[in-house]
Amino acid sequence: MFGWVMRAALACMVLAGIVTAPARAEDTLDKIKQRGSIVVGVKNDYKPWGFVDPSGKIVGMEIDLAQDIAGKLGVKLELIPVTGANRMEFLNQGRIDLILATMGDTPERRKVVGMIEPNYYAGATNVLAPKSAGLKQWSDLKGRKVCAVQGAYYNRRVSQLYGPEMVVFPAVPEAMNALQGGNCVGFLFDDTLIVSTLSAGDSKWADYEMPLVSEDPQAWAMGVTLADLNGPFGEFLKKLSIDWHKSGKLVELEKKWGIKPSPFLQEMHDKYKGS
Amino acid sequence: MEGIADFFRWLADARGLNFSIFYDALDRSRFLEGLWTTVKLSVICTLLSLAIGIVGAWLQGARFAPARQLVQGYVQFFRNTPPLVQLFFFYFAVGNQLPHVLDEHGMLVPPISNVGWAILSLSLFAGAFNVEIFRAGIEAVPRAMVEAAESLGYSRLGVFWHVLLPLSFRISLPALNNNLVNLVKTTTLAYAIAVPELLYAAAQIWSEVLNVREMMNVLLVTYVALVAVLVLMMGRWERALRIPGYNP
Amino acid sequence: MTTLPVLLVPRPLPQRRAGELPKGLFGGGLLAAVLAAFMISILAADARAAIGNAASSDVLPILLKWSPLVLHGFLFNLLVSVLSMAIGTALGLWLGLGRVSHFPWLRRAASTVIQFFRNAPWLVLLFYCMFLLPFSITLPFATVPLPDTAKAVIGLSLPVMANVAEIVRGGVQSIPMEQWESGEALAFSRSQILWMVILPQCLRRMIPPWMNLYAILTMSTPLISVVGIQDSMTLARAALVAEGRTDLFIPMYLMLLSWFFLYCYPIARWTTALERRFQVRI
Repeated sequence: MFGWVMRAALACMVLAGIVTAPARAEDTLDKIKQRGSIVVGVKNDYKPWGFVDPSGKIVGMEIDLAQDIAGKLGVKLELIPVTGANRMEFLNQGRIDLILATMGDTPERRKVVGMIEPNYYAGATNVLAPKSAGLKQWSDLKGRKVCAVQGAYYNRRVSQLYGPEMVVFPAVPEAMNALQGGNCVGFLFDDTLIVSTLSAGDSKWADYEMPLVSEDPQAWAMGVTLADLNGPFGEFLKKLSIDWHKSGKLVELEKKWGIKPSPFLQEMHDKYKGS
Repeated sequence: MEGIADFFRWLADARGLNFSIFYDALDRSRFLEGLWTTVKLSVICTLLSLAIGIVGAWLQGARFAPARQLVQGYVQFFRNTPPLVQLFFFYFAVGNQLPHVLDEHGMLVPPISNVGWAILSLSLFAGAFNVEIFRAGIEAVPRAMVEAAESLGYSRLGVFWHVLLPLSFRISLPALNNNLVNLVKTTTLAYAIAVPELLYAAAQIWSEVLNVREMMNVLLVTYVALVAVLVLMMGRWERALRIPGYNP
Repeated sequence: MTTLPVLLVPRPLPQRRAGELPKGLFGGGLLAAVLAAFMISILAADARAAIGNAASSDVLPILLKWSPLVLHGFLFNLLVSVLSMAIGTALGLWLGLGRVSHFPWLRRAASTVIQFFRNAPWLVLLFYCMFLLPFSITLPFATVPLPDTAKAVIGLSLPVMANVAEIVRGGVQSIPMEQWESGEALAFSRSQILWMVILPQCLRRMIPPWMNLYAILTMSTPLISVVGIQDSMTLARAALVAEGRTDLFIPMYLMLLSWFFLYCYPIARWTTALERRFQVRI
């Protein structure tokens, strides 16, 4: 007897809920300010841009940049580890507000994600190989096993141009471990990671080199949703990016994390210094 | 064939549902190669694990106690640890430490490739289950059969090979089929060590063409269909072997 | 050896029921073997490091340095397994009851669902849920966020649901028809018989396969590392990259294997003990 009364009451509450639901903030910047925190997708296996320290905290150059963004907005920073294969999905699903994860700025990706210009770094493709491999040019890779990571934009280009046998792993650590075990002749990746690995001075990498000429230079960009690109959030990030170049903050962070000084950053610093 | 390709091309352009494997030759070939590799992996691992199961079941009845304990240790270890961690352990850890050999380019490479390690690891994993399955089957064979064989002068090995195994096969078949189906599903783990099987091929395609939704659905349907075919075939075989009224 | 056809007295082979462990190989012995292998690998790595270059430190301190983090990940694995098991059991119970239902359409529908989720590989189901489930569910009065972990738990609970349904079906079908008939004779309705007579009886015999399923699930939780969630595997790999030494691989992975073993092996033993206790004596 009471059953229908309860059911009717529930229906009324649901209806009331629909009718009086507060309008949700559409713009990401408002959403961030309302939430009080910004969620940034970063790498946690790409030293020194984003990696894990023994306490489990993610640290690195990109994390410092993210901290700066959060500081300027006056909100807390929340970091979500992402990989090349899932960062764009996460952004478009709304899981993260911003991609700051060594993402290469390519025309195909621009269709899916909004790239913030000016770019905050530039990297190119190269191969980390043991000296004993004797690789001299890209065509030497033909038919050889080359380790790579899922989701990298250069995998297809390299495999189509030079015909190596690609051995693609889900993440960087597996690919590096495989290289060290001799399972492939080289590890195809961004030259910035290769350079920072080699220059870290670890004895394990003493017999390795970056033999080829870096190809296919790609600027890295911060990623926001296409809707945000020309909205308040996108504009804020663009201005901040110019500011970083002007103030030399990026060059300074490069030094702090031991990244090889990049001519790209010096160029951009000089270009914006005057403005 | 062309009609199908055109249909899917239209579907991609007009409706945004990009099933690239139907109209793009490269993607299709990768997908089919992945499927073929999965089938090959499953077949090789099944045969190897059956061999391991038989040898293990034989050793479990050995007089030499350390042999029995070794088999038990192997079975318990491989049944109670995650197959993914086993796979990683074999490929990265053990493969690293094995003495390297020279390949045709004069480079020192591990003696076993990633496909080889996948086969080894998965066979050992399935073999551990098979040992127990064969053991259960052998237990269920009536003692009278064994005694009869012994009285005819069969050696212990002869009893095992000519009497116990064939009789126990019918009893163990349902469990063996179950194990085979699980093995086919477990081959997807080889994705993590870059073995070019079906999941790997699909991941390659969706990370380049950016059609995750469509590829995931195709992948799911393909695997379910593959396993369904297997289950049907095994079910037929079980029914063919069944003796009505005989239930040991 | 004589050539006469003499029947030699056969030495009785150690008789042991399938799945039962021989007395000599008590859990302690096997555990000791695993731990011994672990320690040997550490010592071997130490020796190799010492021969290679004196600057590198011992393996054991490095492992201990990283083990709190990896242990944290391992506990997370266990959490995921418990949650998936809970959700999968709850859903699977209903699915299993549907499978043995009186209505043929319900039976067929349940059977299809069960077959589908049992045939699909766990990793593919995980990928599917991770990629295709939305980030948040919009209800009329609130937006419920669906973090990665929740999606992984759902992804793992789907095959568990199907397997629990099979276990329930097996349990219900193993109760002799006499129980159903007696219930009918006492004028119970079908659902009353099911809930008050049949299910309490088959609960006991469903427990061993259910615990077995839990062990299988726990051993499948490292799959979430492949879809990008931070668990013991990802943290172990991140630690290996941070250290950058190949001689650490074997000890680190052995450590992880031992932890899983230490957790799952007692469950397996308990399961066999329960199986023996719940043997149906007719």
